[in-house]
Amino acid sequence: MAKSLRRILILTKRNLKEIVRDPLSLVFTILLPLFMEILFYFLFRGKTDQFDMKYLAPGIVAFAQSFIALFTGILISVDRSTSFLTRLYVSETRSFEFIFSYALAVLPISLVQAVLFFVVGGIIDTSIFCAGMLAAIPLSLVSALFFIAFGILLGSVCNEKAIGGVASVVISGQSLLSGMWFPKEGLNPVMVKVMDILPFKNTAVLIQNPVTGITNAWTDFFLPLLIVIAYAALIFAVAILAFSRKMKQN
Amino acid sequence: MPAIRTENLIKEYKDTVAVRDLNLEINEGELFSLLGVNGAGKTTTIKMLATLTQPTSGDAFIFGHSIRKDAVKIKKLIDISMQETAVARKLNVEENIEFYAGLSGQTKEEIEETKKYIFKAFELDKVAGKRASKLSGGWQRKLSIALALVTKPKILFLDEPTLGLDVISRRELWNIIRALKSDMTIILTTHYMEEAEALSDRIGVMKDGDLLFAGTKEELYAKTGTANIEDAFIEMVSGGANNG
Repeated sequence: MAKSLRRILILTKRNLKEIVRDPLSLVFTILLPLFMEILFYFLFRGKTDQFDMKYLAPGIVAFAQSFIALFTGILISVDRSTSFLTRLYVSETRSFEFIFSYALAVLPISLVQAVLFFVVGGIIDTSIFCAGMLAAIPLSLVSALFFIAFGILLGSVCNEKAIGGVASVVISGQSLLSGMWFPKEGLNPVMVKVMDILPFKNTAVLIQNPVTGITNAWTDFFLPLLIVIAYAALIFAVAILAFSRKMKQN
Repeated sequence: MPAIRTENLIKEYKDTVAVRDLNLEINEGELFSLLGVNGAGKTTTIKMLATLTQPTSGDAFIFGHSIRKDAVKIKKLIDISMQETAVARKLNVEENIEFYAGLSGQTKEEIEETKKYIFKAFELDKVAGKRASKLSGGWQRKLSIALALVTKPKILFLDEPTLGLDVISRRELWNIIRALKSDMTIILTTHYMEEAEALSDRIGVMKDGDLLFAGTKEELYAKTGTANIEDAFIEMVSGGANNG
């Protein structure tokens, strides 16, 4: 157990270094969403609720997490294609240790995203500094787990070249189906239902609702929380199977 | 006890036999080269011996431990350098060594000792602070092989260690491999005949999953009636020596 924990920590440290030392990952996970947060606020505030900072900042947190899926996937895919993982399999490292280490390496980046986007949002509009924001930050880690699981799954099944295209589906899904950029009112009811069932909108409202205010604990908090946890658990399970299977094949 | 002994080792994929009835013994301290054209079964053999893939039938024993039953024990005795350069690209050379040493359970003091040994053996101290991705192909390959020594294995598998390297880098790696010979058993696969000739104590020739020959280069020349390794190899895999 102690040996296994030590290996997970060593792998986590390495994975974190690999991601933060990639300038592109910093641009897409931090700088681009930050730029969007500031730009969209000053361009569109007052036009729809989505661009009030209390909606925009949590929405940007959820949107930025979709890039986490991309960079987690790229890291795993490159590790597979270069035989890095095959070599580590000759050591005593096991599949679940790899999976944990990828997830643990990405969580601090998600935390930095949430804190940064809320603080910058709060500097622009101080009304979002509230108790709900303090709850939204740890909740954002739950939604991050969903995107991390997706990233591990993508990295396990896609090669380095394919992963950008496939991950863009997740990023587009988060953009279009989360309801972050346009009001839900006026949308086709079927479309609204689909958004309610899929995880994307639920990851956004899970972070938004504590800031905007929870009027119904079940629909505003527990339901989206359970949906996100269920999707995260399901995709993690599939990702673990895919990763283990791929490693055996390699 | 031989370092490696295989008993009717077979690996089959859907409609292909990658390795067929392999029976082979490799002694401790020996450098054994596996030669063969693409698809001969060299890498599959190494992967089975390194417990990376399970045989379809048969077994192999690494210092008496079965690859089917004792993978955990075997992992402590072996290491491998794959034909692709396998390093952590965004870590520098020193961090790569620390990473592998830490992962193998070494203490801080042991990691420092390992670094000293690796730096000296591979002259990697010259590029210690450089990220792996910024190294030339030759240095990356050196690092990749060096990392396989971090765990101080009793058996080292080198899968085409000099593939794609220029002649100078290749010769440098030959010198390093020669220096390692006294400390461990080495199983090397290669496409380069002169590499096998220069480094090996014994040579195995594989074709379509079959081991056609295992012995010294002198025995190979005698069997094929040739005077150099390239002619001997061609004679062997084209069927002349085998059928004759």
